[in-house]
Amino acid sequence: MKKILLCLLWVPLVLSPGLLPAQEEGARTLDALQKKYSGLKDYTVDVNVHFDVEGFKAPDMQAKLYCKAPDRMKIESKRIFFLPKEGGTFNPFMFNKEDFEVKLLERLTVEGRNAVKLKLTPKKRKPNAPQDFILTVDTDRNLIREMNASSLDGREVKALIEYGNFSDFDLPTRIELHLDVQFNESRELKDFGQSTQPAKRVTGRVDITYSNYKVNIGLSDQMFKETKSAVSGER
Amino acid sequence: MRLFWLEIYKTFSRWRTYIGFGFIALVVILTEVVMKLSAVEIVNRMMRSTEKDFLIFGNVLNGWFVTSFIMNTLHIHIPFLIALVAGDIVSGEATSGTVRFLLIRPPSRVRIIAAKYVTTLFYTTGLVIFLGIVCLLPGLALFGGGDLIMHHYGKFGIVFIPEAEIPVRMLLAFIAAIWSMTAVASIAFLLSTLVENSIGPIVGTMAIVIVFLVIGNFPFDFFGTLKPYLFTTYMVFWQQFLDDPISWQQIATSAAILGVHSFGLFFIAVGAYARKDIKS
Repeated sequence: MKKILLCLLWVPLVLSPGLLPAQEEGARTLDALQKKYSGLKDYTVDVNVHFDVEGFKAPDMQAKLYCKAPDRMKIESKRIFFLPKEGGTFNPFMFNKEDFEVKLLERLTVEGRNAVKLKLTPKKRKPNAPQDFILTVDTDRNLIREMNASSLDGREVKALIEYGNFSDFDLPTRIELHLDVQFNESRELKDFGQSTQPAKRVTGRVDITYSNYKVNIGLSDQMFKETKSAVSGER
Repeated sequence: MRLFWLEIYKTFSRWRTYIGFGFIALVVILTEVVMKLSAVEIVNRMMRSTEKDFLIFGNVLNGWFVTSFIMNTLHIHIPFLIALVAGDIVSGEATSGTVRFLLIRPPSRVRIIAAKYVTTLFYTTGLVIFLGIVCLLPGLALFGGGDLIMHHYGKFGIVFIPEAEIPVRMLLAFIAAIWSMTAVASIAFLLSTLVENSIGPIVGTMAIVIVFLVIGNFPFDFFGTLKPYLFTTYMVFWQQFLDDPISWQQIATSAAILGVHSFGLFFIAVGAYARKDIKS
């Protein structure tokens, strides 16, 4: 009996050396990502969004994006501007290892470079926020190449990211988003007198291109105080 | 032409004619002020579904959106205001005892009825133009301009209309709204030629419009088959000018059906009025 118990006690000890490095590798990957961009204080960039989403007829939208580390963002646009929430903007500091349970899913090769696939589960759940992220990270260059975000209500967003080098920082030049989301029409947008349509799954692609980067130009905190989201009402 | 101006003078001398203008001014301005005060709540409700997946920037609740919102809301009420005048324009002569005096004068009955019909259309056009002015001027002053976000007409989805295209599309939408209201005015006008009091045509017109709207919107297959035969189905064709792409074929069909209704009803009214017995 004692032998069996001893054997059982040994099992986790035998397995853990394999598990722990895997967990640590995930956390190390996130650390390396943040370290790579530690010198990135702020940037501005021109954004063009092209929608190819079912039932969503919109012309290309342009705006100027202002970002400041770690998580401040401002959009300037003369017209109405829609930017996908998940994957629409690049923030290398959003995947802080302290905020997620990190799991290494696999090691792979992406375009001839070493990469890892990580599953990140937020430690604190926020309403409407994804329940987990799956990142494909190029570990040779410390770049997120692909991000999949999925939510409890079945929303799925996949982002494929291409980079260019600007002032010694690898920053996105194009993000290709694949959306599979649930869409409910709001009462206010509907024609009065027509029957309400049920929620519908909407799939499509959004191409976001970034140009004219200006990096570390010393954006002041003041300019981020007036957030310009129409939905927050602070227009 | 003199007959027309005479009818215009008579129509606009009655206080009843101004009820419609007063009602529209009151309701539209009140709506715009309330929308301005509740802007945050309205934008949040408008974008509740979209904001799950998108960050939204810019002036979503702008004057153009407010105008289309009010037009959507009021297209059921405007017919009543039109019926107030159109339902009275012929029968009012009988009520006030002037019909014999009018019909013993040289102009033919056809010319008299035509002048009254053109006056009815003039009032209808004026009321819809007034609605447009009261919606747009204070709307743009209070809410500013911007692109228009609309529900995709009769289909799933939403449509963005760039601000540069909106004035022309709005103008066409208002012209279409005038054309739709002409059909309502023609019903009231026909009923007005058939009776000798004004209440009947006003109530009758509203009853027809409401019953047709209700039948057209019942979610049953039986009523669905009737829908293409109801003129109210085509009354909202102005919304198609705020769609992308604009469905010109549907617009032409709706305009033709409403036109046939309007002029058909007018010709029936002419026939009825020509044979009207004014001696008893």
